[in-house]
Amino acid sequence: MRRKVLAVLAAVMVLTLAANAGSISGKVSGMNGESVVYVDTIAGKTFPAPSEHPVMDQKGLLFQPHILVVQVGTTVDFLNSDKVAHNVFWPSLMQGGKKLPGKNLGTWPTGEKRPFKFEQAGVASLLCNVHPEMAGYIVVAPTPYFAKTDKSGEFKIENVPDGAYTVVAWHEGAKNASKAVTVAGDTKADFTVSK
Amino acid sequence: MCKRNAAVCFLIIVFLLTVPSTYAIPAFSRQYGTSCATCHIDFPKLNDFGKAFKDSGFKFPKNDEDFIKIPPVMLGAPAQKEMFPKVIWPGTIPGMPQIGLRFNTFFQVYSRNRNTLVPPTADGGGGTFTPRTDFQPGLFSIFTAGNFGDGIAFWVDDDFSVGGANSNGGLGDGYLKFVNIGRLLKLPTDSLSLKVGQFEIDIPFSQARTWNLSGWDIYDEANYGAASALGVGGVNNAFAFSTPGEGVELSGGHNYGGYHYSLAILNQSTNPNGPPGAGPNVSPIVGTFSDSNFKDLYGRFQYRFNLEKDSTSRNDVQAAGPNGPRDHTYLQVGTFYFYGRSVQRFTPTGSTTVFTAREPFYRTGGDFSFNYRTFNLFGLYMYGHDRSQVFNGAQTGLMGAPSARFNGGFLEADYLALPWLMAIMRYDRVQSEADFLNGQAAASSGNYFQPASATRNRVTPGVQFLIHANIKASFEYQIRPQQTGTDASGNTQTVRTNQAIAGLEWVY
Repeated sequence: MRRKVLAVLAAVMVLTLAANAGSISGKVSGMNGESVVYVDTIAGKTFPAPSEHPVMDQKGLLFQPHILVVQVGTTVDFLNSDKVAHNVFWPSLMQGGKKLPGKNLGTWPTGEKRPFKFEQAGVASLLCNVHPEMAGYIVVAPTPYFAKTDKSGEFKIENVPDGAYTVVAWHEGAKNASKAVTVAGDTKADFTVSK
Repeated sequence: MCKRNAAVCFLIIVFLLTVPSTYAIPAFSRQYGTSCATCHIDFPKLNDFGKAFKDSGFKFPKNDEDFIKIPPVMLGAPAQKEMFPKVIWPGTIPGMPQIGLRFNTFFQVYSRNRNTLVPPTADGGGGTFTPRTDFQPGLFSIFTAGNFGDGIAFWVDDDFSVGGANSNGGLGDGYLKFVNIGRLLKLPTDSLSLKVGQFEIDIPFSQARTWNLSGWDIYDEANYGAASALGVGGVNNAFAFSTPGEGVELSGGHNYGGYHYSLAILNQSTNPNGPPGAGPNVSPIVGTFSDSNFKDLYGRFQYRFNLEKDSTSRNDVQAAGPNGPRDHTYLQVGTFYFYGRSVQRFTPTGSTTVFTAREPFYRTGGDFSFNYRTFNLFGLYMYGHDRSQVFNGAQTGLMGAPSARFNGGFLEADYLALPWLMAIMRYDRVQSEADFLNGQAAASSGNYFQPASATRNRVTPGVQFLIHANIKASFEYQIRPQQTGTDASGNTQTVRTNQAIAGLEWVY
């Protein structure tokens, strides 16, 4: 009996939370290709680091995916799937207009992964020092509320609790665009980015 | 002085401002969607990966198909192989023409004393006037290279124009290479390949694809023996190591580690361009490239010791450095031997009898290359020997005469200070008694480089900047040997005529 009551209570709580969780959707325009949209730092709130390790692969002399977006505290596994040697480094971690120190992960054998935990939010421009044309990006979002747009710029961030936030749009080679967004259920927010 | 310093500072600032991120699109860059820097340190100097790419027949050493951005066109489905010999063996051609173009242009400055000594040329004429400064168009070349699948690689490069004159161009290398044909004989991988066509022989450091503004002098050294006191004859051999040869070459091993060898059989042609002095070499008739039945032989063997402690890194194409892959630390040693036979025909005065002099010659030597990170020290020593035949006193036959010999080589240090900045220091030396006696200068060196003694040497510091991965600005200062001679008034003068060269080169 006690167990049943607890189950019902839990279900009610989940439904209540779901009722208060909205989404942010819209379009990033101004430049072609994929962008990243995320909810910026929320004062007084922290989020547990995700346990899964997304993979940034080097394959066919390309970083794949070209853009990876993760929450701060995430460990990214860097993989070399090519039969040629690569390395991975980023000259700096761009946090708004601030440059934080970069990192060189060196090189490792084909097929092996090298993990790196991103402890700070920002954007890492990934490079390979033997193949200067290779470029990739890891956008480290300060919250778990983020999304990568499709190629037309459309995005949807799910499960954002109702409230007032600063939402940022990032695009490769463009200045960040940000705006205040009040989430109440499904909320629309469009962004225009430019160089 | 102040003005000069300001000018130097301005030039440095201009260079620094024009060095952005590097992208380049020569022939292979387009196919693989990668920068020139993947294969070159300071183009055309190859890094270890570039050497492996070349060894593999212009393919990535492993899983080449994973990297090709423009898929090749199939000349028959691979499954057709099962139908052979009832079908043509299937192959591929590159998905787009593998074309690269190259152009360079130069500016030269000579010392003020460049015309002080106007020594006679080899044929007894007067010297030529050399201007203080000179703008020079270089060469405009086309090159195409790639592979046709199944381990058949190709390369063709041709100069449309050289020195602004379109008639001076010509075919450089043009060959097919059947890579790793040893597999048909169940030999170890890459132990046997076959190259057929016209190509630069497998000299230790390529002159055709040198990154220096001026070539290594010893490679241009021909051997013209001193005229014999006994009459017509002597050595008159125009062959130089920088001359491309036509023939076949067997090769094997790798240039990025371990052994590498090559054996070539080439046309005999010791009179390719009509050497100075209008020698009596046998000229090939129109339609042939050889000037005798004899075929030259060339062999080379080298071994490269990669010095990394970690065996995986040591045996891989590139070494694994803490900050990314890099060229190996290595020591390479090698040796080479060329054997040929110069053919001349003489007719005694007042006679119709033709005497044929067959004068065997050889070139041999050794070389080394040591690399530590971005510092490369390498050198070569060569000894040349031509047997000589001259008329006997009565001109009734030929007799042996003293051989014509030369030796020399070079030592060069390259330091890649930054990925776009390479400093170079070179020492070139050629010692030839015959050159001294003949007043014979190195090819294209002008009258300021006439041999004032049996030894001709120069020191050449230089620096090269990559403006992009495909555009290069180069500077070189040639410190020439001191010469003593007579000026136009008959006064004895001792001068040293140096030369500064600036070059711009781009490929796309």
